[in-house]
Amino acid sequence: MSNTRERISRGGISLLWALAGIVLIAIMWELTKILGTLIELPFNTSDQAMPNIWSMFSAFTLPEVRGSDTSVFQAVLAAASYSLLLAMGGFFIGVVVGLILAIVMQRFLFFERGLLPFVIASQTVPLIALAPLIVGIGNQISFGPIQWSTTYSVMFIAAYLAFFPLSIGALRGLQAPDPTSLELMRSYAATNNSILWKLRFPASIPYLVPALKVSAAAAVVGTVVAEISTGVRGGIGRLMIEYARETTSQPAKVYVAVFGAIALGLVVAAIIAAIDVLLTKNLPKKGLA
Amino acid sequence: MTSPNIVETAGTALAISGVSKVFNKGNTNEVTALSDVNLDVDTGEFISLIGPSGCGKSTLLRVLGDLTEFDSGGIQVSGRSPAQARKERLYGIAFQQAALFDWRSVSKNIELPLELAGWDKSRREARSAELLDMVQLSEFGNHRPWELSGGMQQRVAIARSLAVDPPLLLMDEPFGALDEMTRERMQNELLRIRLDTGKTIIFVTHSIPEAVYLSDRVVVMSPRPGRITAEINVDLGERTELTRESDHFFHNVTAVREALRLHDSSAVSSTSHRGEI
Repeated sequence: MSNTRERISRGGISLLWALAGIVLIAIMWELTKILGTLIELPFNTSDQAMPNIWSMFSAFTLPEVRGSDTSVFQAVLAAASYSLLLAMGGFFIGVVVGLILAIVMQRFLFFERGLLPFVIASQTVPLIALAPLIVGIGNQISFGPIQWSTTYSVMFIAAYLAFFPLSIGALRGLQAPDPTSLELMRSYAATNNSILWKLRFPASIPYLVPALKVSAAAAVVGTVVAEISTGVRGGIGRLMIEYARETTSQPAKVYVAVFGAIALGLVVAAIIAAIDVLLTKNLPKKGLA
Repeated sequence: MTSPNIVETAGTALAISGVSKVFNKGNTNEVTALSDVNLDVDTGEFISLIGPSGCGKSTLLRVLGDLTEFDSGGIQVSGRSPAQARKERLYGIAFQQAALFDWRSVSKNIELPLELAGWDKSRREARSAELLDMVQLSEFGNHRPWELSGGMQQRVAIARSLAVDPPLLLMDEPFGALDEMTRERMQNELLRIRLDTGKTIIFVTHSIPEAVYLSDRVVVMSPRPGRITAEINVDLGERTELTRESDHFFHNVTAVREALRLHDSSAVSSTSHRGEI
């Protein structure tokens, strides 16, 4: 269909723009370094602090540790995949919890009154304070043979950040149907459950999609920060800290980890974009997103 | 005030006696939306409710559909309370906005009340095809509502209101948002559907020609408090291309207009003002 072709060509053009943006940033980075050799800048532009773009790329192929077979790139890839898994786990839990909260708050006014302040207050607790607390409590939990692991704590923290934008967005969406649509459903003697599934939920999609985007981003940030503050091994957060300690000997290495974190974010964004297309394929092409 | 023709009644579709409704009771902005409303509607009759804003015509319609509660009096819809009639799906309703669901195709919109009434898929599809045919939109079943013009959307809404084949149709200014040409075409179509189906129809409007053209009886209402002030029987017989241009049509329009003016306090004061000059 011409429509699809049009969308693809439009997608190609925006990809070109994105690439142009990256090239521009790289050029500015190098120009800043050159400028730093000519005049005094208020920050350090040495190869230690701001390695050249090409040394960043050559760092991809460095051995992870001296003498090992795995390259930095492979290590970063493995760590980013592991973090992706944790982030998606946390995101999924956050979405489920957020949706349940939104449905309950929509259905029962007293839940909205009673729960909403706590939902909002939950986000005012600083993550740094929360992480050790969750790990501490988690370590005392065991269900028979299943022992709580710190990776669950990371997922929990990701979910903790992810549920909030989703529940707020979903609540607004569930409350979005206009009075006429609701009266129509009432005239059909529809039950509350039918109204939820046949009207409120589909009507909430335009609100849900942007909420999913924010939630997914929150889950990624939550995962990386939680990995750092709980010290969980294997993820991109921990890797960044480790590589940052090596800046004196291999300043470019940490940037590979940063690229890994960026790639992680992009993959998550792509997943959400796919969900967006799936959810909105039946809706007119105007939305809040 | 009262309708004289109680001959050859095929049964009473609607019996409204002494119905009152007050909004914001006890508040400073208390409004008597309906005050002692009495109306009997025969099966198969087409009734228009007409009057200025705030006369309670929409409220009356919503009370009949159990979308709003009333304070006192009695209502029988096909011999049942409005709540019971709603639960038994004994009426269909159409509003000024078509209120079609964007995420459903046109046919699926018509099938919505059938799904809720527990019809199985094959019966639903057969019924929606039949109704699309009735409103002359057969080719548009798989279209999305937003791809349709306003008049087409309203036809889908009417088809949907007929889906479960209820004996009573409640219509709240369904053509209010349409342009004049589309509106007249829709009026003819509604009359044709009425002939085909024999539904009892309660039609809220504030267009006098529309009320006269469509109805067997025009019920005139006036505000503060909302009440019925006149009932005018329309005796135009079968509507044709020429009906709207006939003298007889204008006589009926004039009768309704005068009934409306009689109880419109603002109109009275403006006439007296003109008299002074």
